[in-house]
Amino acid sequence: METLSLLWDGFAVAALPINLLLIVVGCFAGTLIGALPGLGPVNGVAILIPLTFAFGLDATSSLILLSAVYYGCMYGGRISAILLNIPGDEPAIMTTLDGYPMAKQGQAADALAISGVASFIGATLATIGLTLFAPMLAKAAIYFGPADYFALYVMAFATIGGITGADPRKTLLAALLGLMLGTVGLDPSTGVARYTFGSFNLYDGFDPIVALVGLFAISEILFFLEEKAHGGSMVPPGRVFPRLTRVKEGLGASLRGSLIGFIAGILPGAGASLGAVMSYSFEKRISDKKGTFGHGDPRGVAAPEAGNNAASGGALIPMLTLGVPGSGTTAVMLAMLISLNIQPGPLLFERSPDLVWGLVAALYLANFTLLILNLPLIGMFTRVLGLPAWGLMPLVVAISYLGVYAITHAAFDLLIMVGFGILGYVLRKLDFSLVPIVLGLLLGMDMENNLRRALSISGGDFTVLVQSPIALFIYALTAAFLALSLWLARRGVVAPLHAEQAED
Amino acid sequence: MILKLNTAYAAGLAVGLLFAMPATAAECIAPADPGGGWDFTCREVGRLLSAEGLVDGNVQVTNMPGGVGAVAFANVASKRANDPELLVATSTVGVTQIAQGKYPAGVETMRWLAMLGADVGVIAVDDDSPYQSLDDLMGAMKGDPASVVTAGSTGAGGWDHIRLMMLAQAAGIEDIGSIRWVQFDGGGPAVTQMMGGQVGVVSTDLGEIKGFVESGDIRVLAVLSDEPISAFPDLPTAKSQGYDVTGYNWRGFYTGGGVSDEDYAAWVDRLQKLYNSEGWQETAKASGLEPIWRGGEEFSAYVAEQNEQMAEISRQIGVIQ
Amino acid sequence: MSDRLAGFAFFLLATGYVWLSAGYTTSFGDPLGPAIFPRIIGIPAILLSLSLVIWPRHNATWAGPAGLMRQGVAVAILLAYALLLEPVGFVPMTFIAVLGLGLLMGAPPLPGLLVAVVAAPGLYLLFDRLMGLPLPLLGTWIS
Repeated sequence: METLSLLWDGFAVAALPINLLLIVVGCFAGTLIGALPGLGPVNGVAILIPLTFAFGLDATSSLILLSAVYYGCMYGGRISAILLNIPGDEPAIMTTLDGYPMAKQGQAADALAISGVASFIGATLATIGLTLFAPMLAKAAIYFGPADYFALYVMAFATIGGITGADPRKTLLAALLGLMLGTVGLDPSTGVARYTFGSFNLYDGFDPIVALVGLFAISEILFFLEEKAHGGSMVPPGRVFPRLTRVKEGLGASLRGSLIGFIAGILPGAGASLGAVMSYSFEKRISDKKGTFGHGDPRGVAAPEAGNNAASGGALIPMLTLGVPGSGTTAVMLAMLISLNIQPGPLLFERSPDLVWGLVAALYLANFTLLILNLPLIGMFTRVLGLPAWGLMPLVVAISYLGVYAITHAAFDLLIMVGFGILGYVLRKLDFSLVPIVLGLLLGMDMENNLRRALSISGGDFTVLVQSPIALFIYALTAAFLALSLWLARRGVVAPLHAEQAED
Repeated sequence: MILKLNTAYAAGLAVGLLFAMPATAAECIAPADPGGGWDFTCREVGRLLSAEGLVDGNVQVTNMPGGVGAVAFANVASKRANDPELLVATSTVGVTQIAQGKYPAGVETMRWLAMLGADVGVIAVDDDSPYQSLDDLMGAMKGDPASVVTAGSTGAGGWDHIRLMMLAQAAGIEDIGSIRWVQFDGGGPAVTQMMGGQVGVVSTDLGEIKGFVESGDIRVLAVLSDEPISAFPDLPTAKSQGYDVTGYNWRGFYTGGGVSDEDYAAWVDRLQKLYNSEGWQETAKASGLEPIWRGGEEFSAYVAEQNEQMAEISRQIGVIQ
Repeated sequence: MSDRLAGFAFFLLATGYVWLSAGYTTSFGDPLGPAIFPRIIGIPAILLSLSLVIWPRHNATWAGPAGLMRQGVAVAILLAYALLLEPVGFVPMTFIAVLGLGLLMGAPPLPGLLVAVVAAPGLYLLFDRLMGLPLPLLGTWIS
């Protein structure tokens, strides 16, 4: 009851005209930034920080603006993933798997509506979870140690095998390639430079955004150039208005995805990408009875979108209750709070109830705003598909170049991006899926670090990996998962019915 | 028609304004991604420099992440060594990297402007840890160096680790190589893992974990400063407990090696004025920094000395040969 | 056939990767050290790549000579864009790249030119001015 009255006070803060305006502006800007390839939520939020200072916003209003941008980015990342097969940011990679095939079949509007509603469900459920259970969940997350994190990553990679493609060997090889690329750079535990060949530019490893844009956007252009130019569009625009029946098909998946994503979000460091991956692979295991996943199944769009939006809501929990960032974006938001003289940490709820509850209330409002903003925009976005490829793709490249260059100021990163583009093109020709590469790159470093942390704690004793009940539970779950898919495969339920369809 | 012309004129004016060059080209390079400590230093100092009227217009902040500052260092050394309008944020962490040979060149390549404040190292344990004082902890580690799992935000050989090793040496622990060290992605995660019982001690900067000190979730056994710090005067220093170890993580700036004496002196002067401003004193306090000033030649000498010290300790613990 | 080649390329990559890991040693730090994880992932990659060489499944069809030519030109434009962004400056290079890629992808000359003319300054305004991300307007060669 106390929570509700605090939330009510929060709404009083959030409903101030200035804050309402910031919510709308933030949601809109976030959606755009999220949709632009090469600019993710981290940079979107970082870009706006100087703006909050320039306008002299107080801490609450600044945080509301940045959170609206953060949520907006999560909505926006899916747009280019669906329309162009180019994820706008890292967590949207899973959305390309079924979203782009839907667009190719002329169902872009449906896919956008499904993912919009799924994002809304994921983010709203996460916000409710945040409202009701934040302090409790934060306390529980503390007991998640390095061995448990490692188990979580093992689960993510063990279940990757069946995510995509006809040949599981290639999916695993792609994931291993991603993991290998992820080890490039300074080793965080010892500072040893690995696979950098003496280049300082490689000391921080490959930026996932650079890899993402190269693998997806540039390889798309090379694909297009195979055939003589025809001046047409990349994908048929299809119908402009979504159908309600299709949206309904994604509801169950959205609910399941939200729960998984939320849990991934609460764990500091795991974040939205892991939420999206786990939601997708879980949904595929339990729902893919006819082998339609990967060929435009609405549930394959709904699950990861609900997952990554729920994760971003979940990531606010460690940020608000402990002052520990759950993701790169929340790290930037924490830095801003500190510079506005708000000390994040366990006392934030007590000391700044206005700020915390104002933010929570603003998140509810932001979610509704995003839903209302996004549904009418579907018509506009699908029209983008009607644009000729010669106009659209060069612009996408220019935007990606700028997004990357403006953040790192290194032409080197752009060359790496072209390299990833050629790699992505060749691998796609060879029937490798690109998604596992990005996942390996995104999650590999954390996987290794947590393994090494666990062993540092035990002094090199490997049994530490299976001593924690949490880790054992995760391994049991993984085993059950794999057993289930083997069983399904033997019964011939998951037949690659549409394997040919994906080629066209 | 007139209306149309006016609109066209206004549009032209707006475009002209948008393209117009900014009033000043003062630039601060943050050699890290947005959101980190160096980015914060650039943004806060940049904001205050223009708010205090010490520079014309805005200070442009450029992020140039890579190699814990090595990419920006190499870039400035090769392309911008003479740029009189350039500041580059750095800290003890950067000097540690230089001392361990992880930058393309040594400290003498750059002109060191000033430090404006320092984060102070702390040694902390969970609030229900058996260790009540630094003596308790060091006593236990002396008996068996592997008995306590220690952690911080840097890898082995990084500043958080080195500070703890300096303490262990001061306590007379011989076998410092067998102390267990775990790296986390920041002081906050290290502390929460300690609260969850994964590790026993955290050595890191106070600024990032001060919320946990205020809430009483953790107990600070020692702060590594000369004098008790202003924000938490009750926390005991290591010195007061008989361990002559300090471990500051200062925040400051360098500029290119080819900058003239005149431009160099102008920057030192501006930064000193900034340091003395109320705005900086407040900002520093809010972010957990002790305002400490060292500028110009004094600062250069300090950096050179720290560089030597760091190299020496790194050799002793085997980080460099 | 293409699977065999891919398997072989992956085999070389993974073998080199594991071989290089031997050089990453430290006398301090964590018990696992920097070399073990690369082996944990490198060795399965070697085995999987060998299995592709032995049991290939897929055969790719590559672009014809004209397609390869277009792809080569596109890669050249992209590399030039990256390398000349700083010296020539953002607006001229974006103009050239957008125009070049557009024509390559079959743009009618006039509309293609129009897109490039609008895009180059437009994107500069969007990034540099509206978002506050500094970009070189004109490069070091010009200004």
